[in-house]
Amino acid sequence: MKELLLIFISTVLINNLVLSYFLGICPFLGVSGRIESAFGMGMAVIFVMTLATSISWLIYHLILLPFGLFFLEYVVFILVIASLVQIVEMFIRKFSPALYQSLGIYLPLITTNCAILGVALFMVARNYKFLESVVFGFAAGLGFWLVLLIMAGIREELEYVEVPKVFKGASLTLITAGLLALIFMGFSGLISA
Amino acid sequence: MNQITISVLVLGTTGLSFSLLLALLSKKLHVEDDPRLKEVLDVLPGLNCGACGYSGCRAYAEAVVKSLNLFNGCLPGGEEVNNKIAHILRIDAVDKKHTVTAICRCAAQEGQKKESTSYEGPQTCKAAHLIGGALDCIYGCMALGDCIEVCPVGALSLNNKKIYVDHTKCIACGKCVKACPRKLFIIIPLKENIDIYNVACSNKDKGAQTQKVCARGCIGCGLCTKVESSPYYLKDNLSYIDYKNATQTKPLEEGKEKCPTKCIDKEEFKISVKAP
Repeated sequence: MKELLLIFISTVLINNLVLSYFLGICPFLGVSGRIESAFGMGMAVIFVMTLATSISWLIYHLILLPFGLFFLEYVVFILVIASLVQIVEMFIRKFSPALYQSLGIYLPLITTNCAILGVALFMVARNYKFLESVVFGFAAGLGFWLVLLIMAGIREELEYVEVPKVFKGASLTLITAGLLALIFMGFSGLISA
Repeated sequence: MNQITISVLVLGTTGLSFSLLLALLSKKLHVEDDPRLKEVLDVLPGLNCGACGYSGCRAYAEAVVKSLNLFNGCLPGGEEVNNKIAHILRIDAVDKKHTVTAICRCAAQEGQKKESTSYEGPQTCKAAHLIGGALDCIYGCMALGDCIEVCPVGALSLNNKKIYVDHTKCIACGKCVKACPRKLFIIIPLKENIDIYNVACSNKDKGAQTQKVCARGCIGCGLCTKVESSPYYLKDNLSYIDYKNATQTKPLEEGKEKCPTKCIDKEEFKISVKAP
């Protein structure tokens, strides 16, 4: 239990996927303009990440390892993620049209979100057991969601601030992201080795 | 077997099983689109201009098919397209026209509403509202025109710092309701042969306080509520009209005449067609 909790906290805050590993930067910068869309995107990522990690674990340990095909992990994980997103999309469209509407384009976009592939690969590299992998996947998604929301909140307020011309737009966004990453470094003291 | 064959086999089987699963699920989970949706889409001009208040032609078509309400939203297509859509959906295009409209609950003009400071920040209501703007009344219209900006049909205009709604254009899409940081707009139903009456004030302060900041504010005296079968009612020092039950012109007009600060506006706009 303590292990799981440690994985959870360290993945959400200390080793945040976006701000310490710089994975999934594309949606982080692209979808953080509005809080509403950031919320939807974050939720979709949490959902897909948890599922993708669990299924990738199963495939890696039940199929790839027995055959000694660990080098195929990249290809297979991409396959898993892409098909999973498709399946999830179909399910949501059928059973919850409202959710499908609100997620919109963000759901298919997750297919190419490198944070998800990153989580699957980390899970293998760190030799997590099944339950640990599920917690890891969920926590990574939650961390992504959290950071995306913080960023969207800041950017919505920044719209009303007068900014020198050179800093306007993308540069201000990148500076904000950098400052956020610095702030998240502060969490590294949270768990002492 | 060497490693290459195994990897090809394993990858091939995994890929094949996933694709089979996907194919199966896409059959199983197929969502039937409303056939009328496609017909409506074919009729629409396909410009995705957003003038209807939706994000594109498809979104508009979905909304139209779902609610069976035309809103007469498509501007580029005009009457022709609207009639065609009405025909597809078997609804009457004229009947649905103008059953609701938006009104602005602040009608004080420049000079009537007091401005004791000046505001030099970003010229949007949203920004001005954050720090209060120049207006003394914290409920009133700051006249920076966020609503004009979002109105897809150009029904709103600003004159003497007062917002005017062109009810012949308004499609009651509700964008101004969302855009106004002071929540001044409300969507009201239009009744047959009754002009639009509007308690054009949103100031919830006590009467004395209201009078300090605006010459046309509702002071919550309640005189309009005391006329016979009055559709007016008081809440938070502010008068409201119960539009659902306001079916006669007389009490509306009497209440308007009684108002000591003349904050009740009347706009002559009658619909003659019967509202459904």
